[in-house]
Amino acid sequence: MTNLYEGMYLVDNDVVREDWTKAKALVTGAVEKHGGKVITARRWDERRLAYRISGKRRATYLLSYFEIEKDALPLMTRDLELNEHVLRYLQLAVDKVPETEFELTEAEGAADFTVPAPPGDDYVEEEVAVQPEETRGSAAKERPPATAEGEAQAPASAKGEGATEAAATETVATEAVEAQTAETQTAETQTTEAQTAETQTTEGEPVAAQED
Amino acid sequence: MAPKFKKKKRKTGRPLIKLCSRGCADRPLDYKDLEHLETYLTPQGQILSRRRTGYSAKCQRDLKRAIKRARHMALMPFVG
Repeated sequence: MTNLYEGMYLVDNDVVREDWTKAKALVTGAVEKHGGKVITARRWDERRLAYRISGKRRATYLLSYFEIEKDALPLMTRDLELNEHVLRYLQLAVDKVPETEFELTEAEGAADFTVPAPPGDDYVEEEVAVQPEETRGSAAKERPPATAEGEAQAPASAKGEGATEAAATETVATEAVEAQTAETQTAETQTTEAQTAETQTTEGEPVAAQED
Repeated sequence: MAPKFKKKKRKTGRPLIKLCSRGCADRPLDYKDLEHLETYLTPQGQILSRRRTGYSAKCQRDLKRAIKRARHMALMPFVG
């Protein structure tokens, strides 16, 4: 009985630099050797690895969907283990091939498609220092609600403490101002009083939250 | 007459409203979907607890499995 599998393979960049079809044949050849049928196989990405594997910092990911006999899979994986150009592999049984895979594989098979040459092993992409606001907003939305609440509570309480401290200093300042301009009652003191009134309202909020 | 025993307020941070019937996110957890998975990691790369994700036990297992697969393929770090 043949089963459908999704395979992700980490291929050495040295082989990819020589020839992409040769690198692809490392995997597709192993599948076909054991009586399997490759449905799709494409270059997924070339990226820096999260940690070194066999001294390599960068490698190319190959994503493939194939059918193979259940008994033949261990033999195929043994071949992959022995192949030193395949750094890692992950093979999972799946129900069906995603529709987008066919399109992407066809795009790779087009005549004008060229695989970009992998950069050197020490190449690091320039990280963007300031994230655009849109992406930050979307990332915040995607976060789970519990996390968002938990994180929102912490800064709110921090702000509350900060607000009370700021309010204390402001009230001292306003008292001094009032003493100086008690006779004149200028518009400035009125504004400062308005500020103190605002700060008092902000003081009340964290206390109410604590009572709950 | 007021009830004798008042129902205590829930103190845990877990959300009361689930995002889907299984309590899971609105898109499937796949090891290749790194942007999605990174939202469930701490800055040090640890998996968030069920209490923080709000996931059901089954979905949390799916999440754990997806992240561990991504780690195996060097898509995500084990530490840091």
